[in-house]
Amino acid sequence: MNDPIMIEVKDLHFTRGKTQIFRGVDLQIPLGKITAIMGPSGTGKTTLLKLIGGQLTPDRGQVLIDGQDVHKLSRRALFGLRRRMGMLFQSGALFSDLDVFENVAFPLRIHTDLPNAMIRDIVLMKLQAVGLRGARHLMPSELSGGMARRVALARAVALDPELVLYDEPFVGQDPISMGVLVQLIKKVNQALGLTAIMVSHDIKETLSIADYVYIIADGQVMSHGTPSTLDVNDDAHVRQFVHGEPDGPVPFHYPAPDFYDDILAPAGQFS
Amino acid sequence: MKRNSVLELGVGIFMLAGILGLVFLGLRVSGLGVGMPSDTFTLNANFSNIGGLRPDAKVTMSGVRIGKVTDIELDQKWFDAKVVMELDSQYDGKLSEDTTAAILTSGLLGEQYIGLTVGGAPDTLHDGDVIRDTQQALVLEELIQQFVSNMAN
Amino acid sequence: MIDRIASLGRATLDVLAAIGRAGLFLFHSIVCLPSREGIYLWIRQMHFVGVMSMAIVVVSGLFIGMVLALQGFTILVGFGADEALGQMVALSLVRELAPVVAALLFAGRAGSALTAEIGLMKATEQLTSMEMIGVDPLRRIVAPRLWAGFVSLPILTVIFGVVGIWGGYLVGVKWLGVYDGSYWSNMQDSVSFVGDVLNGIIKSLVFGLVVTWIAVFQGYDLIPTSEGISRATTRTVVYASLAVLGLDFILTALMFGDLG
Repeated sequence: MNDPIMIEVKDLHFTRGKTQIFRGVDLQIPLGKITAIMGPSGTGKTTLLKLIGGQLTPDRGQVLIDGQDVHKLSRRALFGLRRRMGMLFQSGALFSDLDVFENVAFPLRIHTDLPNAMIRDIVLMKLQAVGLRGARHLMPSELSGGMARRVALARAVALDPELVLYDEPFVGQDPISMGVLVQLIKKVNQALGLTAIMVSHDIKETLSIADYVYIIADGQVMSHGTPSTLDVNDDAHVRQFVHGEPDGPVPFHYPAPDFYDDILAPAGQFS
Repeated sequence: MKRNSVLELGVGIFMLAGILGLVFLGLRVSGLGVGMPSDTFTLNANFSNIGGLRPDAKVTMSGVRIGKVTDIELDQKWFDAKVVMELDSQYDGKLSEDTTAAILTSGLLGEQYIGLTVGGAPDTLHDGDVIRDTQQALVLEELIQQFVSNMAN
Repeated sequence: MIDRIASLGRATLDVLAAIGRAGLFLFHSIVCLPSREGIYLWIRQMHFVGVMSMAIVVVSGLFIGMVLALQGFTILVGFGADEALGQMVALSLVRELAPVVAALLFAGRAGSALTAEIGLMKATEQLTSMEMIGVDPLRRIVAPRLWAGFVSLPILTVIFGVVGIWGGYLVGVKWLGVYDGSYWSNMQDSVSFVGDVLNGIIKSLVFGLVVTWIAVFQGYDLIPTSEGISRATTRTVVYASLAVLGLDFILTALMFGDLG
């Protein structure tokens, strides 16, 4: 990894309620590349994105974007930083009271004083890029899941951000819209030279577009490397995850007493 | 942000309905501006018992509303009730000095109000004057008592 | 025993924390400068919580006025005081029934819808994504709804009262044959604009604020699952109704308690 670093996460600790979600996570996100963060569900990948975006504050550790500590910024500076970020949410998170056009125009109207005609041009450009210029008058409730995510992508890149955070972009998609999304994310990233962080557990799709991969489990970075090095990694955790093996370090069975004893338990002792 | 004129019209009508409703409650229901002329003059009257008379009760003459009661207090000198009335100024100087005031009841159990009846004296009442000849409220218990004692005799 | 005291203490602290959160929430939402866009958002919410509640308020007001006249007539006619019908209908509507029943209907119709709407926005990450774009959801989502509730309920209350008095007129005068003039003049003699009408409107302002506050806060504070949304919606209706009835007693005691 010789690329310049855009984001550096140092010794991140985070607790929610009584569960410790992160205990010392270190990440380095290279500039202009797609970095994937993978791991079994429930390992707090979305939480990590929220920590990077400054919506949650860690118990310990730092998130540095271009050398600035996100959690030490004033509200105003954080607001300025978020202007340079786009985020694609798991569900799309389109505003249900605005139509497709207004959804994409929303960040432009908030952050810029551009005249309406210019906003219209930019929005149509972004919608054209995701192939939904014709759907601009539809309401979010009239869109399919894949279309909603494409609109959300157009909204995330509306301000031409330097950094885009993708939260599970492929979850629950049929093969066609999955293919479309993979292509789109790749294309948009190359065209705009974005730095991207993608959180996902869809191995095949993620490995096909990511430049660098971190695998997180048990609140720590388990392994990291380029997709090709991970494929041949010998670590049991990595192998189970990358090859999708049902049993391994992450057990198939929920902890239970011995099956044989359980079956033969005398009547009246059922618990 | 796109505007929606149908929606704005709907909200406009809604707020207008609220204002008209308030006007209706003010004029028709609370009787603001009804029988309340802008120019008034004040008369006082002392009653030995006002019964259930309250401030804001109407003052009538021959059943026509001409004013309202503004204040009721106990007269420390005579220990009877001193009632202050505001009457339409067009009657200022028209009511004879021996006008009588009576506390009447609308219906058997309705609101109590004051009824004025003019006499025949040449002098007239002016702002701040006192009506001497008054008739106290009919108190139901006293009526019944009288009736019972009459029966006994 | 120690356990019980400890859990009681914890429950008390939880309640206090919730009240504190709700108070801060109200403060942050209401304290903001109105903008042109804010006014547009407010108009939208006025339509949603106010105009859309008109139908139910008009129909209920009409029926309640009619029932009042019918019940009142049968009682008053026994004393030969059926002339006082207008006064009875108007006073009970203006002082009590219009503010309270309109607030209860409002809690059921608009309050539950607000909770569900904001809860759904939370569940679909719309609130988080708004924050990421750099817009405070308290100002953009919550504030216009709070203001709309605060303004609409008094209007709905006035409409409820007017329609109710008209319903009483239909039944009392047109059907039961109370004399037209005494219906209105008895009403005018006994209803005071400041003492009765304005006090009723002050009640409805308080109810409007409290019901919307509860509804919006429940939506904002819920657990973003379908079960969480349905529970929060129920909580909104229950808490808001109880708050309306409780506050009604307190306000009535303050306003009318020293009369007579």
